Amino acid sequence: MNKKLIISVILLVVVICILAIIPVVIKQDSTINLVILVLLYMSIASSWNILGGYTGQTNLGHAAFFGIGSLTTRLLWIQGLPFALSFVLGGIMAVALALLIGVPAFKLRGVYFAIGTLALAQILNLTVGNVLPEMSYNPAISDYQLMPRYYLFLALTIVTIGSAYFLVNSKWGMGMMAVKEGEDAAESLGISALKHKLLALSVSAFFAGLVGGAFAYYHVSYYLNMPFSPEWTFDPMMMAYIGGMGTIIGPIIGSIFFVGLKQLLVWNVGEYHLIIFGTLFILIVLFLPGGLVEAWKKIQKLLATRFRRGKKQAAFIT
Amino acid sequence: MQALGQNLAYGILVGALYGLVALGLSLIFGVTKFLNVAHGELLMLGGYVSFWAFSLLGIDPFLSIPITIVVLLLLGALLYVLVFSRTIKLPEETKIKNTLLVAFGLSIILQNLALRFFTADERGISASYLRTAFTVLDVRLPIGRLANLVVAVFFLIALQIFLRKTYTGKAIRATVQNWEAASLMGIDIHKVYILSFAIGAALAGVAGTLVAVNYSIMPSMGLNWTLKALIVMVLGGLGNIPGTLIGGLILGVTESATSFFINSNYREIAGLVLFLLVLIFRPQGLMGTKEA
Amino acid sequence: MLSLDKVNVFYKELQALWEISLDVNEGEIVALIGPNGAGKTTTLNTISGLLRYTSGDIRFLGQPLGKRPPHKIVELGISQVPESGKIFTGMSVLENLELGAFVPSARKAREQTLQRVYEIFPRLSERYNQQAGTLSGGERQMLAIGRALMSMPKLLMLDEPSFGLAPILVEQMFDMIKKINQQGVTILLVEQNIQAALDLAHRAYLLEYGRIAGQGTAQDLLSFESVRSSYLG
Repeated sequence: MNKKLIISVILLVVVICILAIIPVVIKQDSTINLVILVLLYMSIASSWNILGGYTGQTNLGHAAFFGIGSLTTRLLWIQGLPFALSFVLGGIMAVALALLIGVPAFKLRGVYFAIGTLALAQILNLTVGNVLPEMSYNPAISDYQLMPRYYLFLALTIVTIGSAYFLVNSKWGMGMMAVKEGEDAAESLGISALKHKLLALSVSAFFAGLVGGAFAYYHVSYYLNMPFSPEWTFDPMMMAYIGGMGTIIGPIIGSIFFVGLKQLLVWNVGEYHLIIFGTLFILIVLFLPGGLVEAWKKIQKLLATRFRRGKKQAAFIT
Repeated sequence: MQALGQNLAYGILVGALYGLVALGLSLIFGVTKFLNVAHGELLMLGGYVSFWAFSLLGIDPFLSIPITIVVLLLLGALLYVLVFSRTIKLPEETKIKNTLLVAFGLSIILQNLALRFFTADERGISASYLRTAFTVLDVRLPIGRLANLVVAVFFLIALQIFLRKTYTGKAIRATVQNWEAASLMGIDIHKVYILSFAIGAALAGVAGTLVAVNYSIMPSMGLNWTLKALIVMVLGGLGNIPGTLIGGLILGVTESATSFFINSNYREIAGLVLFLLVLIFRPQGLMGTKEA
Repeated sequence: MLSLDKVNVFYKELQALWEISLDVNEGEIVALIGPNGAGKTTTLNTISGLLRYTSGDIRFLGQPLGKRPPHKIVELGISQVPESGKIFTGMSVLENLELGAFVPSARKAREQTLQRVYEIFPRLSERYNQQAGTLSGGERQMLAIGRALMSMPKLLMLDEPSFGLAPILVEQMFDMIKKINQQGVTILLVEQNIQAALDLAHRAYLLEYGRIAGQGTAQDLLSFESVRSSYLG
């Protein structure tokens, strides 16, 4: 057990180090942008997973938090507020939104929560599109440097996934998973379902908001309501599912897979990667709810029994 | 005053369309308890069937409705058998949620397949006679929009007759009321589900034709129309079939009133806000009774 | 006619029935008695195909039932009147009865069967257009039984037909069941009212905790302590 832990930690440090030196070693902007995309998806998928995967609440309005974070950060930063402050405020605004809508939203159970959050995100999407329809330009465009943006995304991804890990393994995390298994059962054990759901929602929103802030920092010009678009809910959700719902590594695998697939098929015509992804998503929901993580575990088991059988046979012969 | 009357008339006409859009979803939900969030994509495909029938074969959109119905009946049955029938086997607690997710995955697939084959261009069906209008009490009623009301009422009545007067329709209602008792009567529940799904899809397709006539269609339109259907369903009471027309009218008039009194950009938002308010404060709908 | 051989049924992960073996011969009235939760309804639902059995054999007229879905089992000639009738409250009495004849074999003879059901239950013909949800308890039970008869079953299974009925209605109910049996329908009856069941049935099985604890004629079963105390008490 301890050996496994040490190996995992070493592996993790190695991976982080590799990621850290990529922009120094590889000077190609396109590669750096690609890794940024993966990191962005990784963190937003992880943030969705906290509420959707661990607490079992299917939030179809995640884009609202991503959007609010990016909107807040962008507007404040362009007005002249230092970026670091704008960035943090983006996350805080997202939490504020979460707390505001959390109590009424959680009155809705299951499916109704899902469509309710979907409606909510659309309301914000359309409102922002109406009130602020112009494209947002970054005035400091001549100063644009890719490196700091890369490291922001890298740091954010590490913090998001790390926080998710610690939250999930804490007492609160156990409570959230109990709520996922069965709210009524959890309540009877003295676990306040509402409190845990609100906590999960807030943490999920906070990191989504921060990623939104990073998005605002990264893109030179974009329509302010673009981050509120439903794809910013649906893509991370599918990544979390396909990678492995309710696991830390699931969103990581899912996002790498998503971007990888997109790159692989970019030479073919059309949006094939979404068609494949959608199909894979359905297959996983129906047949392999634990995602690729579960698939991997099953393969491991299969190989282990084969190996053990082989050993037994060898022992029998000798 | 005339403007208000015109606005109200349009609100009613578009509301009838909304009611038709929700009709299929309501049927599917009432029978299978599935929330088919790919409903908007089925509508989109129906619109494209009519569009291609019109632009390639010159078939009048209203005459192409039977074609749309047939295509969508088959597609609905196929999708049910291939995809949704597998969700029946899932454990009860996660069944409804997973059906939602599966439907959502399907919407992504259908949307992108349409994008691949039809391109992202906005399409519409326009014929001069559609713009010809009757004028009643100073209010212009274009034929294209009037058709919304006529078609919606027609299919609502047709569906009601089917469900109340035909043997198969009664079997469907029996399944809704008590599926165990229904299967003990010798009713094949599987077939009931397939049929309901197919009819629901066909109704979505017909709505799609009207959308192609009155507005425009494109692969990404699905989500907005699915939301409309959900709003109408919640307003009219989940699974309440006659309620969908009323729910639709409420939504249509709300949107028009918002457009008139506030700003046309806020039409959609008003509908969504109304939806959320009803969901939170009166989940059984404005028409519904408090049953699960 | 019907035989269960060492049938095991699991409900989710818990075992509900253990090695159930019972027989129903043509023309008989067989009762399945036992305390609440013993598995009587589970047994009927398994025969009807609403529940899966994990091992054992169920045969009807020599044919194994296998994994047939419920609607196919009705086609074979087995009809169940479920617990508390489960009538379609949103439809009329006539519509309920008509739906009972859904199986293709019964559909052709629907009109005649309807007349025969009206003969057994004249009250139903009086109230043919009434909404089923407005019927009294006794009338609902009659409707449920009538509905099951519409499929022209060879074997009629009843799950607690006396439930919630006043004693005088119980008597009438059982008289009707006897009449139905005399017209050639084999009956498998699940009952908590042991007195009424043993008075009516030719043979009975005692089901306790998911197992067959005893079988035989009414006299045989009275030798069981648990049965005696319920019968006399």
